[in-house]
Amino acid sequence: MSTLRRRTILGGALGAPFASLAAPAVHAQGGKPYAGTTINGSCFQTTYFEYLKAYFPQFEEKTGIKVNFHMQAFPVYNQRTDLELSTRGSAIDVCNVTFIYSGRWIGAGWFTNLDTFTKDAKYTPAAWAPEDFAGGAQSAMKNAKGETFGFSWEGGAMITSAARYDLIEKAGLGMPKTFDELIKVCDAVHNKENVAAFTADKLHHWNWIPYLMGMGGTVFKAPPENLTPTLNTPQAAKSAEWYANLLMKYGPDGLLSYSDDQAMRSQMSGRANMRTQAITWSVPLAKHAESTVRKTVRFGLMPAGPDGNFPGSNSHGLGIPAGSKKKEAAWEFIKWALSKETIAMVVKEHGYPSVCRLSVIKSPEFKNVLTLNGQDVASLYLEVLELGGKTGYMKYRTVPVYPQVGDKINKAIERVATRQQSAADAMKQAQAEAVQDLQKAGIKIDKG
Amino acid sequence: MIAERTAGFARQQHRFFVFCVAPALAVLAIVTLLPSLYLLVTSFTPLSLTRPETLWDFSQPLENYRQLQADERLHNSVWVQVKLSFWTVLLQLLIGLGLALLLNVKSRLLEALRTVFLIPMVLPPIVVAIIWKVIYTPDISPMHGIFKAIGWNVPSLITDPDWALTAIIIADTWEWFPFTMLMVLAALQMLPQELLDAAKVDGASPWQVTRHVTLPFIQGVLLVAGLFRLIDSIKAFPLIYILTDGGPGSLTEVTNYYSFLQAFNFSYLGFSSAITVALLAATLLLSWLIVRVVGWGVRVD
Repeated sequence: MSTLRRRTILGGALGAPFASLAAPAVHAQGGKPYAGTTINGSCFQTTYFEYLKAYFPQFEEKTGIKVNFHMQAFPVYNQRTDLELSTRGSAIDVCNVTFIYSGRWIGAGWFTNLDTFTKDAKYTPAAWAPEDFAGGAQSAMKNAKGETFGFSWEGGAMITSAARYDLIEKAGLGMPKTFDELIKVCDAVHNKENVAAFTADKLHHWNWIPYLMGMGGTVFKAPPENLTPTLNTPQAAKSAEWYANLLMKYGPDGLLSYSDDQAMRSQMSGRANMRTQAITWSVPLAKHAESTVRKTVRFGLMPAGPDGNFPGSNSHGLGIPAGSKKKEAAWEFIKWALSKETIAMVVKEHGYPSVCRLSVIKSPEFKNVLTLNGQDVASLYLEVLELGGKTGYMKYRTVPVYPQVGDKINKAIERVATRQQSAADAMKQAQAEAVQDLQKAGIKIDKG
Repeated sequence: MIAERTAGFARQQHRFFVFCVAPALAVLAIVTLLPSLYLLVTSFTPLSLTRPETLWDFSQPLENYRQLQADERLHNSVWVQVKLSFWTVLLQLLIGLGLALLLNVKSRLLEALRTVFLIPMVLPPIVVAIIWKVIYTPDISPMHGIFKAIGWNVPSLITDPDWALTAIIIADTWEWFPFTMLMVLAALQMLPQELLDAAKVDGASPWQVTRHVTLPFIQGVLLVAGLFRLIDSIKAFPLIYILTDGGPGSLTEVTNYYSFLQAFNFSYLGFSSAITVALLAATLLLSWLIVRVVGWGVRVD
């Protein structure tokens, strides 16, 4: 006998209107075993699901499953989902596995092992091909045993975009390939025609790390095994100083408060030139109807530092919360939303750039969609994705405590950029705070 | 006999009052006291959402409170809170009082103006925050546009370490001075005309009337307004969340924002509860002290 719980009552009250809407389909079984089921989906605000929503009727027609899909701003989504998952509730049946939270959510056992679906022909035909998802993107969706808890719909691959490449050409230079060249280009084009040379958003714990690694620094000693922070090294201080200088000397006024979207719009409106950021935020410069730089934008790989090239790569996936009571129906949705056909359709019809199915990425259609101003951006994208997957330097980002440590990095970079502290002091403080936080989280770290 | 009947009636009346008030008290206990009690209990655990086993772990009940003492970022947030509360409450009281005194005149134009002044207070806080975000973002700000046109290069206030907190104080003052203004105006409407007439007959100047009649009369109201604003200033959140995210660095990070980060960004619910309990205790203590020191005002009869 089941117990009547608050969640049950609330869930029932919320679900009642939808259940009544879906009522006629309940008996329409046959080839639609989940007909009449309503699933609740959730993700942060993203164009992929904006586009996909238009095709939901196709899925509903095909399976008889009704989908309520909600999107919220990125931080709001993460906070709400973090709470919801922690209660192991059944309010959400399918949701985004956010990259930065993936280690925490998967590690805590809050998601369903999807191997049970992909390895059973009853649920998944072989043609669906789970191995078709890019390895780098999928690495964040797995636990230490290699079990899969999500499938990537988005692969963030950091590239360099120059909104006003014409200014760089006019200065007799090209896309910067090294950190030194980046500074040289910035010096040459900054404030030419009222265009700031560089722009960025305030998520420094994503944007700065490639520069940190390029100068020989790391965030942790050896993630995920050894999470001793390494933020107080000379390399970290040097890199923080260098990056803060890049932002403050060559960025538009107020850059430290820029969100992702603001930074993108500073480029789209032609107020800022270069940015190193994920492809999702770069391609709209060439495609968005409001972009004023469609003809002048060019793309390149992330510049390399003295110690190598470490472009950020990440991924967001769809997973099924452990508490969901409609796992099979939720899997039907994932299967459809991330099938080769659906992804190819979104790429073809909307030019969506950051998908993770290799078969789609390597297709002529994708190359066609991502050939921008004569440049093969699809190859750049694949190169970054594979780079991240091969060497595993992105592992720092999927550890359960990265949100805490990332916050310390954000604050430290802000303090350096606004000259509140020297880089060495700011990073020393970030290290101390990170150590304190990790101890609070029960993480064992090296002494000294 | 009559006395017995009267006493019986009084008992019945008392029982009736208790009967009437009991449901409201029960609801209050459920919606207010129980969560507060749970907050207190949680503060004695290392509760983290990612570690369910920490929910009822009372092995080190005072650990969170020990960590509070060692957390420099928390100490900084308290100092930021003190500065924010002091300046916002002071400015709101001064501006609210000043405008109320100026607007306390029977005139249709001024009555309309009163309504206009109330607008910031009735706007949803998030809308206020977005308005100020626009004002403080140089690319789209009319304020920065004007400054630029007159050749005055003003940096982005919310990212400038010298201005970030001031920017929040300005926005918060703009949002909430109408509250003081409204309360003072209401009190001024109650000021007996005879008092003012008597003062005038005695030859008091307008300043003397204000100083010796009006201000003592509204002193209690000002205290209440100040207390409300003080308590509300400790709850300042939307402006900081939208405008500065606590930055640059931790320059605008107040205590409740820090507590929010601990709970909802890092999942340290136990530690966050300890911060909140300390904050609650400090607020209660501060309110009590103010009432003790300043009193509730003297009624001028």
